[in-house]
Amino acid sequence: MSSAELHHHAQTSAPLPPHPEKATLEGRNKILGIWLLIGAETVLFACLFGTYLALRGSNMNGPTTEELFQIPMVAAATLILLTSSLTSVLGVVGMHQNNVKKVQLWFGITVLLGAAFLGLEIYEFIEYVHEGHTFTGSAFGSAFYTLIGTHGSHVLFGITWISSLMIQVARRGLTLETTPKLFVASLYWHFVDVVWVFIFTVVYLMGKVG
Amino acid sequence: METNVQHQPNQSVSEDRSMKYVLSFVWMLLLTGASFAIVTMHLVPENMVIPALLILAMLQVLLQFFTFMHLDFKKSRLTAVFTFSGIAIGFICAIALWLIS
Amino acid sequence: MATLVVLLVFALFIGAILTGGYNKQMIERFRSHWLWEWLTTVDHKKIGVLYALGGGFFFIFGGIEALLMRIQLFFPDNHFIVGRDFNELLSMHGTTMIFFVAMPLLFALMNVAIPLQIGARDVAFPFLNALGFWLFFAGALLMNLSWLFGGAPDSGWTNYVPIALNEYSPGTGIDYYVLGLQIAGFGTTMGGLNFLATIINMRAPGMSFLRMPLFTWTSFVASALVLFGFPPLTAGLFLVMFDRLFGAQFFEVALGGNPVIWQHLFWIFGHPEVYIVILPAFGVMSDVISNFARKRLFGYTSMVFATLLIGFLGFMVWAHHMFTVGMGPMVNSIFAIATMAIAVPTGIKVFNWLFTLWGGKITFTTAMLYAVGFIPTFVMGGVTGIMLSVPPADFQYHDTYFVVAHFHYVLIGGTVFGILSGLYYWWPKMFGYTLNETLGKWNFWIFFIGFHLTFLIQHVIGLYGMPRRYFTYQAEDGITLFNQISTVGAVMMAVGAILLVLNIFVSYRQRESLVAGGDPWDGRTLEWAIPSPPPVYNFAQLPQVRALDCWWHEKMEGNKEMEPAEPLESIHMPNDTPLPLIMSIGFFIAGLGLVFRAFEVGIVGLLVVIVAMFMRSFKPDHGYHIEVEEIKATEKGA
Repeated sequence: MSSAELHHHAQTSAPLPPHPEKATLEGRNKILGIWLLIGAETVLFACLFGTYLALRGSNMNGPTTEELFQIPMVAAATLILLTSSLTSVLGVVGMHQNNVKKVQLWFGITVLLGAAFLGLEIYEFIEYVHEGHTFTGSAFGSAFYTLIGTHGSHVLFGITWISSLMIQVARRGLTLETTPKLFVASLYWHFVDVVWVFIFTVVYLMGKVG
Repeated sequence: METNVQHQPNQSVSEDRSMKYVLSFVWMLLLTGASFAIVTMHLVPENMVIPALLILAMLQVLLQFFTFMHLDFKKSRLTAVFTFSGIAIGFICAIALWLIS
Repeated sequence: MATLVVLLVFALFIGAILTGGYNKQMIERFRSHWLWEWLTTVDHKKIGVLYALGGGFFFIFGGIEALLMRIQLFFPDNHFIVGRDFNELLSMHGTTMIFFVAMPLLFALMNVAIPLQIGARDVAFPFLNALGFWLFFAGALLMNLSWLFGGAPDSGWTNYVPIALNEYSPGTGIDYYVLGLQIAGFGTTMGGLNFLATIINMRAPGMSFLRMPLFTWTSFVASALVLFGFPPLTAGLFLVMFDRLFGAQFFEVALGGNPVIWQHLFWIFGHPEVYIVILPAFGVMSDVISNFARKRLFGYTSMVFATLLIGFLGFMVWAHHMFTVGMGPMVNSIFAIATMAIAVPTGIKVFNWLFTLWGGKITFTTAMLYAVGFIPTFVMGGVTGIMLSVPPADFQYHDTYFVVAHFHYVLIGGTVFGILSGLYYWWPKMFGYTLNETLGKWNFWIFFIGFHLTFLIQHVIGLYGMPRRYFTYQAEDGITLFNQISTVGAVMMAVGAILLVLNIFVSYRQRESLVAGGDPWDGRTLEWAIPSPPPVYNFAQLPQVRALDCWWHEKMEGNKEMEPAEPLESIHMPNDTPLPLIMSIGFFIAGLGLVFRAFEVGIVGLLVVIVAMFMRSFKPDHGYHIEVEEIKATEKGA
């Protein structure tokens, strides 16, 4: 069985195969599993999007989408998250080159960008609350904060996940065990970015054109 | 079930794909820029804005899937089938919630 | 109260660290206990048994709830259990039977059978498998605690808003529903994902998709429905939770909310859900019928195609539950036509079963009796389904006992008969001895007659105009006798269920004389090629699959066992781990905290989960090896 070899491999520290994340059955299972999870999460987010679209006109006495959203802030957040998607794929390139330093550098930048994105989002939420756009004030508010907040919590989970994998890589190096984990985490991170593409389109840009 | 852990030196195999990724990244930036431009500069007729935005978003997502995420119809067909089933079902859910509730 | 719980949990935590971390003797005493093995197992066969135990346990609750309702309806204008109490009974009966009985029992069969049928040593994610079970159990337990603390949910299993919001359902009942289902739903989603990955990645050499037994196929499609069907429920439950606990306004019309959103989310999940519970039952029927008719399944490929088509259409029909909401004639027509279209693949299946029986050499074991009884029963449920799919007619049937009769015909006549058939069929594989056939036949006939007595008459009760979920009726309505017949039938079903329990006890006592051997039914599929119960590693050498019904193929070729596809080597197995149980306890504490609005308790529970996740991620777990000598000894012993 594969993990027998994996175990064997960990002890002898033979050189990694070209695609270490797919070299073991465990690794292939993990990659398939994350794709299945991405499929499920797509439906989850789609339901939140649908709810938001149904309720976005119900702002009651609060500000409307056009009054609320600031294009520059959204553009900045988008740029940050899009760049982090690139840096995480560069981290995977480093992984394929068996280069621990490169992996740590690019994934480190990814985590920092993710944190910056979260900071910007929190700042944005505080601004909105000051303008009278609250979670409990209207159905629009509830739907908005639920959708964006769910995405934000995914970003937070991604940051935590990638950071903890960086610690493991620092301790154990790139092995047949850590590489599938890194690869899977980067897939998850791309997915978080994909969801944001729809958020800036459906929530912010479509909110601007009414 | 079989496993093949190939023990071969790998420096030659993983040539630097970085440039390819940077190129897709530039495409993504262009697509994003186009979306923002449509809204801020009123480039397309009013009734075409939302379809145009959705098409641009979909293009960018496909770009992510096939370049950054290495989705491959040939090598892992079922993975792609399940991913696109998720997108299709999600699309139906979102449209239904939007239009008939 | 909340602070007290927090302190208690911390005390337990510290206590665990102090006694567990430093007292080796204590750990050893725990680890050597037989219960520890079951609490920490990641073996799919044991998890299957755990699912069966859990499902059986909650079946008792759901059954008692049903009996109490039928007793209340025995006399017109009865005052046995009325009003809110009756609402709690019907809500808990529906929720329990669907989520905590039908699904775990099917997952039990899937866990036991799928890896054996495809020739795998375990599932793709053994850890996730265990976690799925424990989350289901934590969620089910949490919801049933509502009977003791703070009142049960009372808005029906569909939990429609706004009656499920704080204003109309104060107290903690609906919170139990929301959090219990959420936790159990996470577990179910993991289970579905795990089976998908197992079937895609873990098939034995030669086991192509079109050589898989039909139970594996239908479970595969059902797992896909779980994967895509549960997220809408997750989203919907979050919205209700936010409205109830955190003052969101999703469903509050005065602040722009829209209650129809919940109905959509619930039924986008709810309709695939009915296929999730019926498809694996179809698979059991196909395997059992083909086994006991001693014929290859008629139209195997069309069966697979029909299964896929049902899975696909299952997502396009949810709004037929909402015809009376007022979506307009256009939407209603589209969903009506899609609904009627499902009759086609289902009809293909029914005819294929009949043609498999045709000219077969049939043995009527209990498993086969359930399978044969299933066909006409399910067809009746299907026909009333077509009647309900016509919107103008549905306006008349909607929310009457006609609907109740319809879905009990498909859920009991389909799912429960399938589960019971599967239990009688795979029992020898699970435990090494068959169930007593004489008692089994009594069990079948009493349950079968009791079922039709209960529910056939409910069609008529519905056509007479009795609405579902009402706790009483008047003598002058002219339905007293009908209701009394129905109640008598329900009691008979209870007797049938007790006979099943009796059979399990009796068969356990007689297990020496009922000993099964590897292949008690002269089976066709791969699970019958290995000993019963199978050794922990299932297959000493992975088999080479050469045909559909591969074990039958080898027997016809004159072979005594499957041809091995690999040399005898040491086998790698995953380690047992208590982390799934700990994580589920964390979720349970968090759920309980949120139910009682003690958010600090909720956070403590989630912290337990997060810590356990870190432990799982950071601690390398390489599993262990079973050496060749040991395998040889085991194989000889069997």
